[in-house]
Amino acid sequence: MKSFQYATVHSTASARELVADKGAYLAGGNDLLGLLKEYLISADTLVNIKSLPGLNKIEHGRNVWTIGSLVTVAQIENDADIKKTFPGLHEAAADVASQQIRNVATVGGNLAQHSRCWYFRHRDTQCLKKNGDLCYARNGENRYHSLFTGNSCISPVVSSLATIFTSLDATAIVLRDGKETRMSMAELYQRAWENPLAHNSLSNTDLILRVEIPTTRSRSAYLQASDKHAFDWALVSCAAATTIEGGKLKSPRVTLGSISPVPHQVEAANSFLDGKVLDDATATHAADLILKDAKPLEHNAYKVPLAHALIRRTLLKLKGEV
Amino acid sequence: MSRMKKTEPENFGAFSRRNFFKSLGTVAATAATAQVQSVAAELEKVNSEKIIGPNAVPVTLTVNGEKLQLLLEPRVTLLDALRNYSSLTGAKEGCDRATCGACTVLLGDTPIYACSKLAIEAQDQEITTVEGLAKNDKLTKVQQAFLDKDALQCGYCTPGFVMSVTALLKKNPHPNADDVKHACAGNTCRCGTHPRIIQAALKAAGVEVASKTEVIDYV
Ligand SMILES: Cc1cc2nc3c(=O)[nH]c(=O)nc-3n(C[C@H](O)[C@H](O)[C@H](O)COP(=O)(O)OP(=O)(O)OC[C@H]3O[C@@H](n4cnc5c(N)ncnc54)[C@H](O)[C@@H]3O)c2cc1C
Ligand code: SF4
Ligand code: FES
Ligand code: FES
Repeated sequence: MKSFQYATVHSTASARELVADKGAYLAGGNDLLGLLKEYLISADTLVNIKSLPGLNKIEHGRNVWTIGSLVTVAQIENDADIKKTFPGLHEAAADVASQQIRNVATVGGNLAQHSRCWYFRHRDTQCLKKNGDLCYARNGENRYHSLFTGNSCISPVVSSLATIFTSLDATAIVLRDGKETRMSMAELYQRAWENPLAHNSLSNTDLILRVEIPTTRSRSAYLQASDKHAFDWALVSCAAATTIEGGKLKSPRVTLGSISPVPHQVEAANSFLDGKVLDDATATHAADLILKDAKPLEHNAYKVPLAHALIRRTLLKLKGEV
Repeated sequence: MSRMKKTEPENFGAFSRRNFFKSLGTVAATAATAQVQSVAAELEKVNSEKIIGPNAVPVTLTVNGEKLQLLLEPRVTLLDALRNYSSLTGAKEGCDRATCGACTVLLGDTPIYACSKLAIEAQDQEITTVEGLAKNDKLTKVQQAFLDKDALQCGYCTPGFVMSVTALLKKNPHPNADDVKHACAGNTCRCGTHPRIIQAALKAAGVEVASKTEVIDYV
């Protein structure tokens, strides 16, 4: 690691002023310190945001729950009310990394974590994401890469929380240029879809303050498949959320993670499921729709049947005791 | 105590000085009506926002009940501070990338990776390393169970596992094998002693398990 200056801030104004162009926000530090140790990014100042007031709380409103960006993944995992109200969020949190990481990893840092592409993570490789002129994964080792992309980089979003937040229709409240901006999960990652240099849509000074989750969908579920049973990023993750009324799905949402630079949702699948009774046949058709335009590469075609199975299982899990 | 050369500890950046005076104005105005206490609190807050480093600054860590006063650059990790700037080599460095668990220590009762936390951030918490467990030449139940169950080979991963299991039993005194696996998922044993480690954890929790390791069918 190169040396850096360090400051703990108590107001968002100081946070922004200190981070400026060349600093970095430090939350749990799991991803940030790894990037610095490998010289993948440089930061002249680490701005510790963990003392910003009011951002480490989970608040239960009638229609909307608010999760502060400094809430840890462990806090979500261990919150009995979350488990009851948003079981899929509990499941996603419990699947993140290991307890040592969950104990310090924050919601903001989890959403803003950088690409896990091994070419990106290799300090000697200058790929597109690092301003080079080639994507090494495209014709190289791409078993962990995307089935969908809007640009030449095929590195997928890997945040488990992003997958479930997308299905729950959550909104990130981001402090941008001194103003609070509301971003859907799709908007939070849109720039990574378009621009190989981006990991998400945030600028260096943008600060995630909170995530708001509407209580509209009373059922949710999350599943991920990884190389290792535990303590591993997902090869594919899947989250689904819905309400079930009179045995029929109402406003269902299905999202895949780790297969696109953005959390992958297909509107046609959501609207197909709306008003349907959930069974094997509808789940299978939804999975077909979600994966219809997948473009597998040499080593990641296995992700298509894997995602297909995960979608069906996650959807059927929603049924619970209907 | 420290091997570091002595450096200018206070490094007031331009920002902090500016902000300091700015807030001083507001503080003075409020001070007339409010308590002196809040003024002190306000000053302390502004003061703590100052930019420090990149040179070494005084850092005080409370490790195993003792205060360690070190001179560290902000980039020094807690693991580095323990192992290389003091003589606590119990927590091990395996990957230095939050993936192996050899460096696990407790912050309060919470297990964390010391390699992935800056020492300067760990100043206001009680840190426990494996050296802090045994008292008066007596091992803890967890340590004794690791011995009884022969739950180590090379032993490099052992301090990390012992800390993870210790934290688990504090939170959940009666875990089952699945709870142990979940709690230890962030620790890796390259020698493959996992079945014995699970037995040791259960034994420490008072659940006696067959001394044989689990067997699987292999035809
Ligand atoms: C072996 C292993 C397995 C893992 N498996 C998973 C998994 O299955 N699922 C998963 O989701 N993750 C997984 N992770 C990743 C881990 O969860 C993330 O590294 C962690 O959540 C990052 O959070 P943090 O608070 O430590 O972020 P930091 O490292 O502090 O920050 C990460 C980035 O976000 C920025 N940032 C932090 N907070 C904010 C904010 N409020 N606003 C704007 N920017 C901000 C930082 O500047 C930095 O660029 C795994 C990690 C390891 C090592
Ligand atoms: S997938 Fe993206 S991050 Fe990986 S090598 Fe290609 S351009 Fe780089
Ligand atoms: S050395 Fe910290 S997890 Fe490996
Ligand atoms: S005993 Fe050797 S790594 Fe675990």
